[in-house]
Amino acid sequence: MLNMRREGAKLTAYLTGEIDHCRAADMRAQIEDALGDKAIRTLTLDFADVTFMDSSGVGMIIGRYKTMKARGGEVIAANMTQPVQRLFRMAGLHRIIQIEGERQDAHE
Amino acid sequence: MNKMEIIFEARAENEAFARMVISAYLVRLNPTVSELSEVRTAVSEAVTNAVVHAYGEAGGAVRMRTHTDGRRVEIEISDEGRGIEDVAQAMQPFFTTQPDSERTGIGFALMQSFMDDVRVDSVVGGGTRVTMRKTLGGGDA
Repeated sequence: MLNMRREGAKLTAYLTGEIDHCRAADMRAQIEDALGDKAIRTLTLDFADVTFMDSSGVGMIIGRYKTMKARGGEVIAANMTQPVQRLFRMAGLHRIIQIEGERQDAHE
Repeated sequence: MNKMEIIFEARAENEAFARMVISAYLVRLNPTVSELSEVRTAVSEAVTNAVVHAYGEAGGAVRMRTHTDGRRVEIEISDEGRGIEDVAQAMQPFFTTQPDSERTGIGFALMQSFMDDVRVDSVVGGGTRVTMRKTLGGGDA
């Protein structure tokens, strides 16, 4: 189970471990379930404890961006570790998703 | 020359297994954190392609074969699944046959960015083989 925290119109999902095709589907399902509450306008994906991500993770982020955009909300990517940041930028996600708390040290 | 080969089921949980195996295999070459992350990502993308596209519900085997020559690593990931009709199209960034399942179509682009060389051979009905090469930098061979 993902840890999630709700504060008013904000939902933070604390992602952990490795985000690949195997795990992305489950994360998608859990976050979408929580986003069933349409009062949520800001979704923060917290990557502090993510050690690996591939293109399936990118797909999972874009999917949540679409969900939030459809309701006029936003997605924030927080505390990305270095390998996650790199993929995030290569996929061009920094052009559509706000970034908070970049980490230079992580897992290096 | 140090060869290694494993065969595993085309199941999603084996994506992490393949990444662990390649990490363990490369440890003796003392790759940098970033090199290891690049190889792990490339392997993950190739294995995911086999899991998602090669066999469908029926399932089947994925083979990961690798060897090193000095600091040069060659990794081959192959299946005997349905194959790819148009390899050039499949390798185009953002091309995906499954947009509804949040596939981004950037898998091959990432493999090409992270490895020195990526080659894809595919026969419709016969399977797909992805061959990737990379020369690792610093450290002792």
